Amino acid sequence: MATEPYDVIIVGSGAGGGMSAYHLTKSGLKVLMLEAGRHYDPVKETPMFNINAEAPLRGASTPDKPFGFYDATVDGGWEVPNEPYTVAEGSEPFIWWRPRMLGGRTNHWGRIALRFGELDFKPYSRDGLGYDWPITYDDLAPWYDKTEKLIGVSGAAPARGLLNTPDSPPGCLMESAPPRAFEIFYERAFRAMGIPVIPMHGAVVTGQMEGRNTCVFATPCGRGCAIGANFQSTTVLLPPAMATGNLTITTDALVYQVDLDKAGKAKGVTYVNRKTGEHHSVTARSVVLAAGSGETARILLNSKSASFPNGLCNTEGMVGRYLMDSVGTGVSGQFASLEGLPPTNDDGQGTQHTYVPWWGYEKQKALGFARGYHIEIGGGRRMPSMGLAGIIPDDETSVGDALRQKLRNRYGSVISFDGRGEMIPNDDCYCEIDPTAKDKWGIPVLRFHWKWGEHETNQAAHAVKTFLEVIDKLGGTPEPNVETDGRKAISKGGEMIHEIGTVRMGHNEKDSVVNQYGQSWAVPNLFVMDGAVMVSSPDKNPTLSILALAWRSADNMATFAKQGAI
Amino acid sequence: MTDKSPETAPDPYVSKIDRRTALTWIGVVGAATAAAAAGVVVYGPKSGGAEAKGYGTDPKLNPPVKAPWPRIMSHDQLQTAAILADHILPATATASSASALGVPDFVNEWVSAPYPDQLKDRPIILEGLNAIARDVMGKDAGKRAAALAALPGQAFFKRFRALTIGAYYTTEAGFKDVGYIGNVARAADPGPSDEVKAVLERELQKLGL
Repeated sequence: MATEPYDVIIVGSGAGGGMSAYHLTKSGLKVLMLEAGRHYDPVKETPMFNINAEAPLRGASTPDKPFGFYDATVDGGWEVPNEPYTVAEGSEPFIWWRPRMLGGRTNHWGRIALRFGELDFKPYSRDGLGYDWPITYDDLAPWYDKTEKLIGVSGAAPARGLLNTPDSPPGCLMESAPPRAFEIFYERAFRAMGIPVIPMHGAVVTGQMEGRNTCVFATPCGRGCAIGANFQSTTVLLPPAMATGNLTITTDALVYQVDLDKAGKAKGVTYVNRKTGEHHSVTARSVVLAAGSGETARILLNSKSASFPNGLCNTEGMVGRYLMDSVGTGVSGQFASLEGLPPTNDDGQGTQHTYVPWWGYEKQKALGFARGYHIEIGGGRRMPSMGLAGIIPDDETSVGDALRQKLRNRYGSVISFDGRGEMIPNDDCYCEIDPTAKDKWGIPVLRFHWKWGEHETNQAAHAVKTFLEVIDKLGGTPEPNVETDGRKAISKGGEMIHEIGTVRMGHNEKDSVVNQYGQSWAVPNLFVMDGAVMVSSPDKNPTLSILALAWRSADNMATFAKQGAI
Repeated sequence: MTDKSPETAPDPYVSKIDRRTALTWIGVVGAATAAAAAGVVVYGPKSGGAEAKGYGTDPKLNPPVKAPWPRIMSHDQLQTAAILADHILPATATASSASALGVPDFVNEWVSAPYPDQLKDRPIILEGLNAIARDVMGKDAGKRAAALAALPGQAFFKRFRALTIGAYYTTEAGFKDVGYIGNVARAADPGPSDEVKAVLERELQKLGL
């Protein structure tokens, strides 16, 4: 455990905070990590093999546990007690998922670990929309390699060379578990449409890995993993960081302000203890913000001073801007061909074993939208839940043996197709400080503004059309009342829980808040190492890239520190 | 349902909830009384006032907490729920009846819960049970059969059946009946068997894929 004086304060303990703590402590720096939520021990707290019958309401979701009782999320969800946020009048809906626990969202995330591709870093150069990153794929590639080897990622396959869908070099990935029955089934429809289906990259240890347990191919990853066979900051990053003796973690510490010294450098942060309501200021030679895009922006915007009357690093008005999420769509179908399949264990490795990367890069003009989506496909004979009755048609009324037979027959015959697509940043999507609303401790809260662009709603319409075509090819029946209007089929802002981009990186202080290493232009010893720094929101789920960027930035910061530059 | 003879009332349902747990709810409710004869615990309706508390945003997951809210179903409602649940999923040669798996207690847990989805279901389920209670609990098997036969198509029946199915098949016995064979630790995932793959192949050929 490190003691004062600290070299670094890290705000947040999720993907960005966990990875920066991992690297900075291993580099010999003394780190104080502040986490807004409570301490969390996945070894003791994870409900691994518990069945729904043991849980209140058979595990069904409630406003207290929106993703179901067993979801790992602590004190969180779309609402966090005592910590409101607002959505501006006239805005389209925006919802904000937050946990309050050590390790943040890495405890429950979907474990989909896809690399961004070459085109993803230069979207403006490709089609004149959005903005280019100050780095290329090649700049980040070595950090993707290191990250995959550290966290454990499955999905190894012979190199395919698909456009903008990077193949990891040999040695980075483990093999995925074999396709489940429904994955074998749907692959044939996509193949007939000329669309590739490839192994999913999942942050799950499927083979032998030094110092890690192998997946037991049972129990959902979203509950967390007591044996640490998937990636969570709390099982993979924080224990080795603690083992260096250079890390102190303070939980229940809700940071709301970065404090500056007279020279304009960061001298520390101020937080409120969520349990006691006491306010504390702590100091260090440098500060890393990794509280999640929304919270990181909120801390900066609430850090007002004579030099920064509109919030720290916000002289150009860019903090909170370029807020993005993924485009979400979904249609499910029921398939007669899968009825009565002999029982088979579809638990698998938690993540999907295969998926469909975006295939339309070369025909975007004709498609009427500029960026693509990948398809995440769920199904199989998973552990029954309260939703089981949904597999029989609405107007079906059988009881007794007929009902039992019908359920047996149709169990495992439903497949859901979900699009996760790129959003182009626009001027209508941002967050700012609400002029009046405050949290329980009197700290001003965020107000969100949201509006999907036509590229996104057209993409959503295309996704729905594609899913219906696939369902039809497979002889299936789509769920009733499928919404084909993209403006209505699209997810709410924030709903994909991929909100990123409020403190973006760039080439200079006019076009961005931080440089390519997350170092703020305005305050040289203040760094941002979460998804807030992202410049675009590719279809690929952001966590792996948050980890790789944080590692690259932390490495750069450690070099600075050795040179005495912070 | 146990239709032993046309002139016999159905066997009473014996709650699967242990008395100690039940008394903790009664302690919360205050006014309710417990009839503890032969281990049967009967709960009075909640005496109005504010809605009970849920399990909160940080419930203990391992081992999972029990649903903490007081139960609101009356004796007749619980008995009627048992008869209806066993009409939907009676015992078979190889599978338990819904009531043997405690489904009526679960329905009580569900309609007593303070959350929006459950509050929406509450009047549908309770009024639906009240409407058939006299006919299905009585000795007249003909009336019972007629009351049950009239249910399909009703919103009440649809919700009650969905709750029964969910409650039943989320148990180990339900897993066995529906054919869920997972939730066991394995050294490797071998993927589907050759038998499964052969069935898939036949189906895909039929689809021209």
